[in-house]
Amino acid sequence: MTRRPRILAALLTAIAMVGVAAATLLTTASAAAPVKIGISLSLTGDYSGIGVGELQGYKLWQTYINSHGGLLGRKVQLVVTDDASDPNTAVSNYQNFITRDHTNLVFGPPTTLLSAPAGLVAQRYGYLFPTAASGSSLILKERLHNFFLVQPAGPLQTGTNWAKYILSLPKSERPKTVAYVALQDPFLTPATQLVKAALQKAGIKTVYTQVYGTEDQEMQPIVAAIAATHADMVVAGTQEDDCFDLVKAMVAEHYNPKYLFFMNGPGYPVLFPKNVGKGNTDGIFTALGWWPQEKSFGQSGFEAAYLKKYGGSKANISPDAVEAYSVGQVIAEAVKKTHSISNAKLIAALHKGTWQTLQGPLTFGSNGLAKEGLVLDEWINHALVPVYPKRVALHSPEIPKPDWAG
Amino acid sequence: MHLVLYGVVLGVLIGGVFALMSSGLALVWGVMRILNLAQAAFVILGAYLAYTANVTFHIDPFAAILPIAVLMFGLGVGVFYLFYRPLRAERSTLSILVSYAILLGCVGILGSIYSTNDTFISPSYVLDSWKVLGFEVPIVEVVGFAISAALVGGLFWFLSASRLGRAIRAATQNPAAATLLGVRTDLVGSLGFGIGTATAAVAGAIYGMIYSFNPNSTLDLVGILLCIVVVGGFGSLSGAIVAAVALGISSSLVFVYQPVWSGLGFYGILAVMLLFRPQGLWGVAQWRVE
Amino acid sequence: MTRPTAWGAGRAVVIFGVLALLPFAFPAAWLVDLGFFGLMYAGLAVAWNLIGGYTGYIWLGLIGFFGFGAYALTITFQHTSVVSFWAPVGALIPIGIAAAIVAVPIGLVLMRVRGATFAVVSLSVLFIAEICASNWTAITNGAAGMPAPAPSIAAANFNRPFYLVMLALVALAMLISWYMRRSRIGLMLFAIRGDEERARGLGVPTLPVKLIAFAASCALAAMIGAVWAYYIGFIYPIFSFSPNTTFAVVMMVYLGGRGTLWGPLAGGLLVAPVQEYLAYTFGNAQFYLIGYAALFLIVIRFLPLGIVPSIHQAWLRRRSGEATPAPGTLPAT
Repeated sequence: MTRRPRILAALLTAIAMVGVAAATLLTTASAAAPVKIGISLSLTGDYSGIGVGELQGYKLWQTYINSHGGLLGRKVQLVVTDDASDPNTAVSNYQNFITRDHTNLVFGPPTTLLSAPAGLVAQRYGYLFPTAASGSSLILKERLHNFFLVQPAGPLQTGTNWAKYILSLPKSERPKTVAYVALQDPFLTPATQLVKAALQKAGIKTVYTQVYGTEDQEMQPIVAAIAATHADMVVAGTQEDDCFDLVKAMVAEHYNPKYLFFMNGPGYPVLFPKNVGKGNTDGIFTALGWWPQEKSFGQSGFEAAYLKKYGGSKANISPDAVEAYSVGQVIAEAVKKTHSISNAKLIAALHKGTWQTLQGPLTFGSNGLAKEGLVLDEWINHALVPVYPKRVALHSPEIPKPDWAG
Repeated sequence: MHLVLYGVVLGVLIGGVFALMSSGLALVWGVMRILNLAQAAFVILGAYLAYTANVTFHIDPFAAILPIAVLMFGLGVGVFYLFYRPLRAERSTLSILVSYAILLGCVGILGSIYSTNDTFISPSYVLDSWKVLGFEVPIVEVVGFAISAALVGGLFWFLSASRLGRAIRAATQNPAAATLLGVRTDLVGSLGFGIGTATAAVAGAIYGMIYSFNPNSTLDLVGILLCIVVVGGFGSLSGAIVAAVALGISSSLVFVYQPVWSGLGFYGILAVMLLFRPQGLWGVAQWRVE
Repeated sequence: MTRPTAWGAGRAVVIFGVLALLPFAFPAAWLVDLGFFGLMYAGLAVAWNLIGGYTGYIWLGLIGFFGFGAYALTITFQHTSVVSFWAPVGALIPIGIAAAIVAVPIGLVLMRVRGATFAVVSLSVLFIAEICASNWTAITNGAAGMPAPAPSIAAANFNRPFYLVMLALVALAMLISWYMRRSRIGLMLFAIRGDEERARGLGVPTLPVKLIAFAASCALAAMIGAVWAYYIGFIYPIFSFSPNTTFAVVMMVYLGGRGTLWGPLAGGLLVAPVQEYLAYTFGNAQFYLIGYAALFLIVIRFLPLGIVPSIHQAWLRRRSGEATPAPGTLPAT
């Protein structure tokens, strides 16, 4: 009976010593200690498509920054965990980053559905919360001062430049009638409504409007209804899946609008032609933040590193990787500018000034959203080409749309 | 009116494919009192097999249907012996949970093999369409419907005319008597399960040419298939077929007018059915071929 | 009605006392967070057990009411940006009552069918609820989600009050579960599970009894969902009405011991935190679905009674060398 307390005491002493040793190690090594960045990514589940792409971008940025002096001379260490596309796990992950691993910084998860609750955790602890691909108008409006969407436009601005482009055409070349279709979605539906409002104000007639519930809809009836109106133009607030199905339904219906714009879908350089047929891509417009031909900040280094590590051709580079890489670029610049990795200082700095990224220069206002606007891309000769606005265009837009190859 | 007719035509075509999916579910319930939620996973698995056959081995997806059916028949028999045969007490309720676990496992495995991005089986003719009754109807939907209809018809014939089919029905109607008469219920059950799995996979191969899919599509399908089986009356093959076609028509009609709520159309039918005819359209105490 | 034994009451006090002290002994936010989710699943498991365990009905719509509670709280407080922590907590009881009231007509329709049909149809409650929340944009803001009320609590101890409120709900759930077992209601529920026709023949008012258990189950789930929404701060239809949550809860009940008093609690407290911990520690939850599925299949195959009854039986056997209790008797506590 007397032996047990002694063992316990010995154990406790040992633990205490290890603790002290660890503490000394930490304090003496802190100058060279890595900057830890916690990122919860959806590597499995519904959003893993985006999550895996973002992981590529973050890893490339880590390699780049560590071979270029790190952040203030400290190496960058990424703490990446999978949130399985589940908000409870995402919320737990950010608490783990901040209170268990004591990471210096955190980056947001790949979708608004996760970054809204996770951003609240980060804000509670005063952490900067930059994200590559998610933004909710609700959180931005209401509470998250620490939130920055590293993209050239807010989530509702996807179609703004399309409306601008159409209105820049001489009256005779503009479409007379438009059909609007949109997925029921927190961003796509209002973004489509914004385009509609702008065009209607300029006197372009709306002949059809339809919102549908899910991505897996039977599109044939909708397209038949649009075809019956003979609309000159179709503006579609789509995700990938429904975009592909809409195009296929239009081909089957032999309905060829003169102007055709999708918010998402045609921007996937490999998936899009694979799904709708290579011959059916030409003349279709979409809005993108980035494209492989662009000469922007860090572009050549990124492209070479990407192709070396993940193979494929320029056209295969994942836009999600580009967006994630841009998050790293913005943070690196902000750290350099403030000479600090203090979250409070970084947040204050990012609300002002302009930041160079792969996606072009970005200016975050008070709400953390850039106002640069997306670039219009068009499929011309089976390739995706930036066509508007002029300052970034590599080709002038080709209208009207050629007929389907079938 | 034109659109309504169009909706009906498309609804019937899609409904045929759903009928094939749910016929296996009804069969397995009828024979073994197993409610196999994993049927939805087998559908998507079938779609991925056809996809792989098409992309990797350049086999036409319609031609791939036969090998897929054979493969999945074997898988179904294996799954039955491994997971369902051990269930003795409370088999029908436990099977719901076990099959959901299998479904989750399949989603996980598919997710780690294939990307969770949407994909699509695209043979060269996938975008072509024929004029049927003055409507542009995609070829794959027509051929898919024809294959589905033939298979469902074949299933009817098999159950009513063949010796094995009669054994299956005997095992269904009176397992104890069937055992006495020398019908090996486990063997019959495993064959029934294999057939159910194979039909699911074939339906999946067709589904994958009509719709984009990803591993998580499984969860969307579960609700639809279950509704079909409940509305049709548990275990009734004809009920499932009628319900599947009704589902196809109702959802494509609701979709024409009110796409946002199209998902509720069928649940509405379900609720009405529960209130006035809880046993389902063709629901009877015993399963039978009608 | 059976009197509570000193041993049973003492055990309850010790278990809940320890659970209440945990966030003070281990205040790190990530640990309290782990505990919060453990309690949430435990509470849902106990609520599920009232129907799924006691009556044997495979009740797959429970999470529909979880989401109902989450949206009820969020909608009630949508125009209040900063609130005292306790205001939403005070709304829990009305939310529970509202859920019970909604549950009665739904239960009346559902209880027209049994067995596998009940399971399937009850699952459609979940799907319908999700479709409504996604599409009734005027009230729920649709797929865009809604921000829950945000209390102004310092970050350091943010999780603790949520943990304690959830613990209180779990205690309430256990109290209801215990009461139902020990009262006539419990006897009637088990009679229904054994043979519903016979129970009815013997004069058991099967429908009212089932409805009472059903309403209690739904009310508990709604209150738990409300606390979850409050904690997580932002809710969306797909996560509020998730079939995966449903099956996780069912699996925990089977793992712990279906129809027992303590089994569901044990199942929830074990599985949820362990899963979260492993997922974070190993960084990649690549195989979590497969792991979940495998765990469940193993439980059904090798521990058909669940952990708590299996331990209990092993203990009984060691004491008396006796075999399992005869079928039809009350499962072990």
